[in-house]
Order: sequence, then C-alpha cells, then structure tokens
Amino acid sequence: MQKTRFSAVLATFILCMVVWVLITWSFTVQELAAGVLVSLATAVFSSRFFAHGDSFRFFNPVKIFSLLGYSVTFFSELVKANVNMAKVVYGGCKAVKPGIVKVPTAMQSDYGLALLSDSITLTPGTITMDVAEENGQNYLYIHWIDVAAESGEAAGEAIKGSLEKGTRRVFE
Amino acid sequence: MMIAVRLLIDVLIVVGAYFALAGTIGILKMPDVLCRMQASTCIPTLGVICISIAGILYAACFLHSADNAVKIAVIALMILFTNPIGSHVIAKGAYKADQRGAKNLKLNPDDYGRDFNE
Repeated sequence: MQKTRFSAVLATFILCMVVWVLITWSFTVQELAAGVLVSLATAVFSSRFFAHGDSFRFFNPVKIFSLLGYSVTFFSELVKANVNMAKVVYGGCKAVKPGIVKVPTAMQSDYGLALLSDSITLTPGTITMDVAEENGQNYLYIHWIDVAAESGEAAGEAIKGSLEKGTRRVFE
Repeated sequence: MMIAVRLLIDVLIVVGAYFALAGTIGILKMPDVLCRMQASTCIPTLGVICISIAGILYAACFLHSADNAVKIAVIALMILFTNPIGSHVIAKGAYKADQRGAKNLKLNPDDYGRDFNE
C-alpha cells in the first residue's frame, strides 16, 4: 500500500472543500469550519487511494481544457448511442446480437484505463466487464449488445475510436 | 425572451422523459440481464442530463437562485461518475455467478468465458 504524502492530502483536501462549498453554498464561519474539518479527515484517510503520481496534475490548465474538449467528444458519442438504443427498444428489442469482445487498448496508466472504461460503460450498448494485462498490453472485455465485428482491432475502432484519442490527451 | 427559455425547458424535459421511458421499457423487455443493463444506461445518461439541464435553466431564470442551479449540476455529475462503477460490478457479478437469466441466448463471441473458464 502507498504511503500518505502531503501533496496528495492537499490535492484531495482542495477537491473535497470545493465540493463542500458547492453543495452547501453558504459562507458563514461555522459552515466553512465544519467543511474544513470534514475535508481534512477525508483527505488524510483516503488520499493514498485517490491520488497517485503527480497529485497536482489537474491544476494544470492545459489538462483542464483537454478534459473539457474530451467531454464534448464524449457527449456527441453519448447522443448517437442513446438514439441507437432508443431505436432498438421502441422497435421491440428484436435486433439484439450480444457478445463479449476482447479489445486491445493503448492506455497505460490506471486513471486512463478507469476513465476510458467508465466512458465505455456510460455509453448505452457497451459495458466494460473486466480489464486484463498480457505481456505489457492492456485488454478490455466489453459486452456489446449488437456485435458488428468480432476481431479485437475492428471492434475496438467501432466502440472506442474517438473516445480513446480524447482520453490519451487527458491522461498520458 | 422568457417564453423562449420556457419552451426550451419543456422540450428538454420531454426529450429526457423519452429516453428514460426507452430505458425502462428496455429493462422490462430485453432477453437477459446484461442486455437489460445496456438498455438501462439510457436513464442515467441522456435522461438525467436533459432533465437536470432543464432544472438548472429553471432555477437560474425563474427562481433566480444560483444555489439550486449549482446543486442540480453537482447531483448530475455525481450520478454520471458513480453509475458506470455500479453497472460494471453488477454485469461482472451476473456473468461470473452465471445468473444471466436466458439460457438459450448465446453470447457470440464470448471471449471472457473463453479466457477465464478453462
């Protein structure tokens, strides 16, 4: 297990405090003091799970803009997949051809893998079942409701072509 | 101006309800557990996003409270961040416990079963 580092605690503390202020939306001294106490306790206990490597990665404006750009890409993919799923459902759920494909991915870091597989799961029609590593190459097992290509590379291009480019810009 | 915002809010709520209904019908009609989960993903994505954007517009333009608008945005983000983790774990658990529900619906291809069941 990782050791607790000061920079990781500070980054987690700032994030918790921002969320606290957004949720309570009150700036009296008592509320802010309670927020500082709760955020500090959370940060001390959970920073070693939450922040690995460079803790202040996201205080870099370039990364924030690439994350915003990625969310635009992701939203357009999301709308396309939702429209397809609505067509299948309102057509009577007949056109399903489910299968689990094994897709190679170029992502290396844990955060990149997590963001990519979360995005894939959040798109209707695909769910990431598992991540496995073989000889330094990471693979995703993806349940796909309408299998259009059985080989790993072609399926990967169809499922995560534009998503993966965006995630790589954010995390590596 | 206000009437245009009001119309936009109504359209967003109807679109959100349309996709949430698609997800619900999918949960009831799809053949097995994994396909049901696929259909249900429509609800937390476009359903929640459209309805919470409508809520943010309503709070900002008609109630004039920044406080409620920000809270709705935080709630929508929380749903978007936590939902995929739950779906992933439920799908993996249903597959590994062999409780998919439909025995005659074959997965084709089934790379996961091939790599881990031998």
